[in-house]
Amino acid sequence: MKNKIFITIVILFCSVTIIIGQKDTSQFQNQNNKADNHPSITNIENRSSFFFQKKTGVSHSKQPINCKTCHSCEYPTKNDPCLKYCPREGMMTVHHSPDESPEIIIMDEMSTRFGAVVFSHKLHAQMSEMSDGCQGCHHFNTTGPILACKKCHEQTRQREDISKTDLKGAYHRQCMNCHRQWSHTTDCNSCHLPKNDDFKRKISEEVSRISGKNHPPIILPTKLVFETGYSKGPIVTFYHDDHIKLFDLTCNSCHQHDNCIKCHDLNNKLTHNIVESQKIHKVNKSFDDHHKPCVACHKQDHCSDCHSTKELEPWSHEKSTRFALKHYHEKVACNKCHIRKSQFEKLSIECYSCHKDWKLGSFKHSVTGLILDDNHNSIECNECHNNMNFSSKPTCENCHDDKSFPKHLPGKLRKNNIMNNSKSKITKK
Amino acid sequence: MDRRNFLIKTIGIGAAATLGNTNESVATPINVLSEDRMGVLVDTTVCVGCRNCEWACRNSHNIPTPPLEDYKNRSVFKEFRRPKEYSYTVVNEFSNPQNPLLPIDVKFQCMHCDKPACVSACIVGSIDKLPNGSVVWNSEKCIGCRYCMVACPFQIPAFEYLTPIEPSIRKCDFCIERTKEGKLPACVEICPVEALIYGKRSEIIKIARDKIKRNPQRYIKHIYGEYEVSGTSWIYISSREFDKIGFPKLSNKHAPGVSEAIQHGIFAYFVPPVLFYSMLGTLMWINKRKKELDVEEESNES
Ligand code: SF4
Ligand code: SF4
Repeated sequence: MKNKIFITIVILFCSVTIIIGQKDTSQFQNQNNKADNHPSITNIENRSSFFFQKKTGVSHSKQPINCKTCHSCEYPTKNDPCLKYCPREGMMTVHHSPDESPEIIIMDEMSTRFGAVVFSHKLHAQMSEMSDGCQGCHHFNTTGPILACKKCHEQTRQREDISKTDLKGAYHRQCMNCHRQWSHTTDCNSCHLPKNDDFKRKISEEVSRISGKNHPPIILPTKLVFETGYSKGPIVTFYHDDHIKLFDLTCNSCHQHDNCIKCHDLNNKLTHNIVESQKIHKVNKSFDDHHKPCVACHKQDHCSDCHSTKELEPWSHEKSTRFALKHYHEKVACNKCHIRKSQFEKLSIECYSCHKDWKLGSFKHSVTGLILDDNHNSIECNECHNNMNFSSKPTCENCHDDKSFPKHLPGKLRKNNIMNNSKSKITKK
Repeated sequence: MDRRNFLIKTIGIGAAATLGNTNESVATPINVLSEDRMGVLVDTTVCVGCRNCEWACRNSHNIPTPPLEDYKNRSVFKEFRRPKEYSYTVVNEFSNPQNPLLPIDVKFQCMHCDKPACVSACIVGSIDKLPNGSVVWNSEKCIGCRYCMVACPFQIPAFEYLTPIEPSIRKCDFCIERTKEGKLPACVEICPVEALIYGKRSEIIKIARDKIKRNPQRYIKHIYGEYEVSGTSWIYISSREFDKIGFPKLSNKHAPGVSEAIQHGIFAYFVPPVLFYSMLGTLMWINKRKKELDVEEESNES
């Protein structure tokens, strides 16, 4: 009898827990749905000043991040999150593509002397892809939803916790750092609309001006020539094109903290022009800063790999390694063969050193341009290719006393020989 | 007479004066350092040189000023400017070797020293250090001797020449009228990037230390004004050595020295001060020079 009562209690307790648990998650899902419905941007009357990005759907407490990274106390609560000082770098954050981000944000919560700012968020997000990304501004973000500035930065300057910048300061610090570099002014009106009775019309004009605008595609230079202070080899020729195509690099493999001024400078019209890639670039960055993107792959002490007294030809696999990349190899990504990508170690030019699975039946000989006849198609590779050495001339002597390659062929040549095709392709280049 | 004795005396005189002509209570004597005195932390790595603070300062002190629009003109940075009788604060621009496109802009005004040389130098007690940290000038007592101008290690007090009968020393008063009403100083309030943080001096020093600790690449390890001339209410952090961005190299000892004794000598024997202007000036100069040499020696040794 006692047992039965106990079991009933346990069952009851479990079901209550499950019901409560379900209720919790359903609440959470509801919240997510709400967040997904961004308020319409064009509806200026009911505008909310911020449009949040998509939420990740998982509470950040369940994410793989150590609580102590951000919170100083044992049990942070919503009211007292006991947040540590904001670490600007190395913060976990959610990365979105700019297209997923809100297009326009209207900031007008503190406009006293100046009118609202209609901020083209998406356009700026596109530009910041090569300069710090989302984190550049959303610097204190866990793996949860992207937080708006005013979530952390208080709207009043006269406040309890002065260790953290107020909202006005936070906004301006983000904007002015770049803006004053490329425009060389701190003109308020370049972002703020004038404060007058006409502001509603002005805002909608601004919104329709920015709506649908995208950053124009970035023109990639093919070659950049740098003049450096290194006396033994002042000239560095950088084939930008090759690095992207050959090594599968994305823009932000190298361009992570680029300055806006690299492209945008009101004093320098040339920066938008392709001519830029033809001129010689002078370098005045610190040694480490300048070498950082290169030494991620290149060895730093091999100066002459990049530094020379004259402009260098583009890198060629054939010239440098004496192994021309033809037909199939041409299309294979570098790291398929050079598995340790960071080093591009030297490989043997013997086919078999990579193609260890080539054996009778697994290799279609016709790809070489020679279709083997039935007799030759059923013998082991090393009968003709001694020691599986495919790069030197095959031998017939193992079986035939009177035959030799290429006078006598063990089959017939394909009409549209791939080898010939690709050769012609290469020569055309 | 050592510094402490002098201060005690000054406080005595100050307190007596206070008792005599104002209704301030003895419990808050002037020229005394309060634990809760306020200060401003200026982060020169954040200032963008918009000069809004210059406009706000004039505006709140009823000094005629061109519209805010005109302050975006950056050509004024071509020459080094000092605070003057009609501009209590000025922003100067210095080159930034780390990034030539982001010059270092430095707002400058009275530092509101904890042990103000101007207060010590003033023979009639016309300048007071108030409990909230501000060093303010009082027109009623001033005789126009301009000792304060000579004594100030930052060359702050400016003399208004327009009304010679009613002499007027002009300098930043830490917006005393505004802070009395619980408002922020005008410059702090307007600064778009919050390069100026107003708070208890003890608190802003903590903030400054913390900023330097967390961003060792951004800041040099020096809080200007934490110890200089025995501490100032306005303190600065920077990415470049302070002597390169317009600040004088000063020792940690408070500025005044010999001059106090001389002034009191003058009073004791009732010699008309006018006769001693030149002599006093020379002595103060020698004294200042000695201090400068001290500093140079100190820095050479280190
Ligand atoms: S900076 Fe000069 S004027 Fe200001 S308190 Fe110090 S000594 Fe006086
Ligand atoms: S208002 Fe602020 S940012 Fe502008 S010049 Fe003054 S201190 Fe610098």
